[in-house]
This record gives sequence, structure tokens and C-alpha cells, in this order.
Amino acid sequence: MSEQNPLLVQCFAAIFPKLPVDQIPNATTETVPEWDSLATVTLAALLEQEFGAPVDVFDLPELNSFSAVQNHLKKHRQSQ
Amino acid sequence: MCFDEGLAFPMNLMEALEIIKRPIAEDSPTLAISLACGFTPLHLQTFLRAQLRLRFPDREIKIDTGLFGDLLGNLERLRWEQTDAVAVIIEWSDIDSRLGIRNLGGWRPADLTDVLQMAERRLQRLFNAIQNLSQTLPCICSLPTQPFPPLFTPVTYQSGEVEMRLRELASHLGASLAQLPRVRLVSSQALDEISPLRDRFDIRAEVMSGFPYKLPHAASLAELLARLIHNPLPKKGLITDLDDTLWSGILGEVGVENICWDLESHALANGLYQQFLASLASAGVLIGVASKNDQEIVERAFERTDLHLPRNCIFPLECNWSRKSESVQRILRAWNISADAVVFVDDSPMEADEVQSAFPAMDCRIFPKNDAPGLWMLLRELRDSFGKSFLAEEDAFRLDSIRASAVLQQSAALSGTSQDDFLRDAEAVIVFDCGRSADARALELINKTNQFNLNGRRISESEWVRRMSKEDSFLLTVQYEDKYGRLGKIAALAGKLEQQQIRVDYWVMSCRAFSRRIEHQCLKYLFEKFEADKIVLDFQATERNRPLLEFFEQTKASPIGTPLELTKAAYLARIPTLFHHIENKTHE
Repeated sequence: MSEQNPLLVQCFAAIFPKLPVDQIPNATTETVPEWDSLATVTLAALLEQEFGAPVDVFDLPELNSFSAVQNHLKKHRQSQ
Repeated sequence: MCFDEGLAFPMNLMEALEIIKRPIAEDSPTLAISLACGFTPLHLQTFLRAQLRLRFPDREIKIDTGLFGDLLGNLERLRWEQTDAVAVIIEWSDIDSRLGIRNLGGWRPADLTDVLQMAERRLQRLFNAIQNLSQTLPCICSLPTQPFPPLFTPVTYQSGEVEMRLRELASHLGASLAQLPRVRLVSSQALDEISPLRDRFDIRAEVMSGFPYKLPHAASLAELLARLIHNPLPKKGLITDLDDTLWSGILGEVGVENICWDLESHALANGLYQQFLASLASAGVLIGVASKNDQEIVERAFERTDLHLPRNCIFPLECNWSRKSESVQRILRAWNISADAVVFVDDSPMEADEVQSAFPAMDCRIFPKNDAPGLWMLLRELRDSFGKSFLAEEDAFRLDSIRASAVLQQSAALSGTSQDDFLRDAEAVIVFDCGRSADARALELINKTNQFNLNGRRISESEWVRRMSKEDSFLLTVQYEDKYGRLGKIAALAGKLEQQQIRVDYWVMSCRAFSRRIEHQCLKYLFEKFEADKIVLDFQATERNRPLLEFFEQTKASPIGTPLELTKAAYLARIPTLFHHIENKTHE
């Protein structure tokens, strides 16, 4: 498993308060019942606010797991 | 501006989510808010929930929202029985969808003429819906906050007729809403200060999710909405210093003629402060003076006719050379209010500190010398401490009645007559009004009275309206006047009718009305009005309702318990002679 970004874990914990922290790295839209479209939009807003990494509307459906979000952030860093 | 000083302003989304997560007891009462808007409420809802959690830490915050794109329908469908307050967010696209960007309805000049015609009708319907809701609920309304799209024919930095007509229509709606008793409008000026127009519209989020606000704008608007939902009670009194505060100069040194408060003398700050205090006084705020001075020279200073705060707006005037806190103590006693309802203003940090140490709950402020921005901030903060949406009739003569009470007590003591003789000659008239109206003054009394308060319970506007809609409930309000002056509506008693008995769960009386046996008359009236044998009162001793306890000790032989039962025969046998002339207010 790749190294987890503590701030990203914090973002997930804020959006999904019922999700145990140790399960955050494995979180997907399939495994977290609260992860609906509104949660994805909130996640996108947090990524922009906390990491300065905006999410394009067409990329939203791809933010479907913790690791996918990590990859999005990685790509954003590389493009800077 | 931010409520919690430990938080950034504006609040960020992560902070809001963390605040919402804070644990709360499972049996906490709910605060149910309806958030009515035409867009996806998304982060506005999150920020509003967080701001309400900060202000109501012991309440479970529940926020209901409606359907996307249907503000009017959301308002018309709202179930007021399940809601404590409604926040109504109006944006241009709610007035006509062509004023937004999500519907391609046309921006040709002919379309805009049609937009104007539709807007007028739409705003009238919005007004009707909000007016209807405000009969039963507090409605917190925000007028359009977003910039117009570039849809008008002039260049973007020129305002054309259509734009100005639309703004006129929105302003007209605001002016009409502001007249409704339970409507509170978000101040556009306050929002402009904390959320610049250029940082409001998020076109990407609008396209992506139907949420048009940038996060800082959503946070700012949510904070103002939460403040208006919270609607704390205003402070009741202000105690001010004189020298270098109410006027510029040391009166004892420069003399009456040389104290000043005008622009020419470089003392405009003092003049503005006087003008501000006169405004507070006329809105029913008590103004007292605590000054280290000789009383005689101060009285002569107040004879100057160019003062903006006349002498008759001030009571008491405490001028002496003792500690300020002693003067403040005497003023509090004369007003019969607690320190936490009072602001103290003095130019000397040492004096402010001395008063603050003696009264930790008092809001002690330093009057800024040669600091125009500091004065501006002080006046704004004072307005926020004393602000009222509406002035009650009683606000106009509160000071006069307190002054009359002091005269009454003094003359009773000096004349050496018995209280019976004194009250017999007072020519007192009590007007009782019994019904089921959700009287706003009664609600105000219930929520701010501490001393003569049956149990210290408070009640929200929406609960108050719901309660009064029940068939078995009643509200008795009491107005009082005697030859010493008019006190206005000074007591309220609410309860419900049960078989052969009356249950009272709210009973409050203003401290201005003590020592007139009005409380004795209230229960006597209830026994007679409802032909009841027994009154059951939900009495609870609190830290501050000693006057009510003393009343019960005087009128009830058996120990004071909870609830407290009074039988008609025993009560009437124990009350002293009552001299009031009684009038009943009749309802058509």
C-alpha cells in the first residue's frame, strides 16, 4: 500500500465520521454506505480547499475510492 | 466576526465538518431548521449546521431542505408544525431562471422585458409565502447575494434600466418583509463586508453540482443566518462615564462652558457617542452615569441645551468621588437588573478594570480617545449588543417608569404612611387581557425576566405560537398604570385549563412592577375569571427568582413545593387588601 497522506485521511474522517480511521485507506463507494454523490462533491470541495487541487466535473465519477483520490492528488502534484 | 475565536474566519469546510462531528447527548432536544433555497444547499447546509452547533451546543441540529430549483414550492410545502425556524435564501435565479446560468431561456432585450414582468409576479408570490410562514415561524431571509450574469445590454461596469428595476423589485420585497414581526433579514451591508462580491459565485460548482457559492461565501452567509436564528436577547442598560467620554474635557477643570463634543473642537467622537446614546435611550435602553465628579457641576453641565443626550434620558446620575464600582452597584439596584445585562463605558482602562473585577459578567468597554476607527467599531458593537428588530410600546416609557418607581419608594418611605395607605392613593388601574394570542411582548417578558419568573423556563418563538394554537391554552397579559406613571404591559401568565383547575407553567412580571400587589391581583383574577377552585403552578426555585418565592411564602400556608397548589378560599384569605381598579380588554 502506498504511503497515506494524513491530511487526506483527516478529510475522509471529517466526511465519514462513522468510518473507523483504520478502514479509511480501503474505503470505496462500494464499502462506505454514506459515500453518495453529495459526499463526493464535499470531498472535491475539500481537495480544492485543503490541497489546492480542483476536481473537474468529468473526473468526479473517478473519485470512487481512497486510493483513486490519492492518485488524483499525485497527478495534480506532478502537473504543478 | 467569527463566533468562536479559536476558528478561522470565514470558517473552512474541514472545520465545519469537525464541529458537526462533536458528540452530543442522545436525549438532547432538537433544533429543527428548514433551509429553503432553489439551489442544491450542499456546503451552505454544512456551514449552517456547524454555526448552529456553536450557538446551540446542547441541541441536536436538524436541517431540512427541499427540492432543487423550486424555492417557492419549498416554502409552500413547508410543515411549520415540525420546524423551529426557516432560513429563506433568495437568489436572482429564483426570481426568474433566466437570471441564472443553468437554464438557457434567452438574454435578448425582449426576454429581459419579460423577465421584469415575471419577476414582479414571482416576488409577490414569494412575499405571500413568507408572510404566511411568518405567522407561525421566525423566517430568516436573505435577498439575492450573487452577481448578475453578463445578460444586460450595457457594458458590465454600467448599470442599465433593467438591472436597476430588478434591484428595485428585490429591495421592495426586502422592505415589505422587514415590516413583518417574525421576519429577520440578513443585512446586505454586513454580508458585503465579510464576503466580497467577486468571491461569491463559483461557476464550476454551479455547473458541476448546482451549488453556486464559493466556500467562503457559503461560510459567511451561514454565519449571518445562524446569528439571526440564534437572535440573543439585547442588553438592557448602559452605564457611561462623562469626562473625556460623553464629552471632551475634564468638567471640574475646564468648567461647564468649555467641555465640548463637536467637529470644530476636534471632539466629534464624543458628539457621535452622545447621539448614539440618545438613540439607544429612545429605543428603551436604560442609560446611567457613573462619574467621579461633583453632582452640582454635572447638573449644571446637563443644563446646556446643545447636548445631544438630554438629562431626562439619564437615570440614575451617580456623581461622587467613591469607587466606580460602588456607583455601578447603586445604578444596578435602581434599575433592578443584573450585571450581565449591562455595558459599562469609560475612557480610563483603570476604571473599566475596577468595574470589571467587581462585576465579571458586565461587558466593560474603553471609550477610544483620538481613535476614529476604534469609535466606529465601539458604536457598531454597542448596536449589536442592544439591537432590536422592533420597538415595543413599553420601550418608550421604561425609563420614566423606573424613575417613577424610585420616586414612589422614596415618597412612601418619607411620608411614613403604611403601604396600604400609599397603594390606596396610587389610583392604580390594571388592564387584564386573557386569550390565546401569541403575544410578542409576553414572549419577550418570558425570555428575559429572571426575578419574578415562575421557573426560569424560556420558550422559542415557534414553540410559543404552537402552544397558543392549542384549544385548552390561555395567556393572561397585564398592563398597569397609576398616578406615578404608566408601566405598560408588565406581566404575562400562560397555562391551560383543566377540570376545575388551572395549570400555570409560565408566569413572569417585570421588576418595574414590584411592590404594587399586581401579582396578588393576577391570581385572584384567574380564580374568578375561570371559576376555578384550584391553581396548580409549575414553580421551580432558581438562583434568581427569590421575589416569587417570597410571594408564595406570603400567600400559601403549607410548604412551598413543586408543583405548587393554591386553593381559592385559602388564597383569598391570605392576600392583603387590593386597591386596583380592574379593566378587562375585550376581543371582538
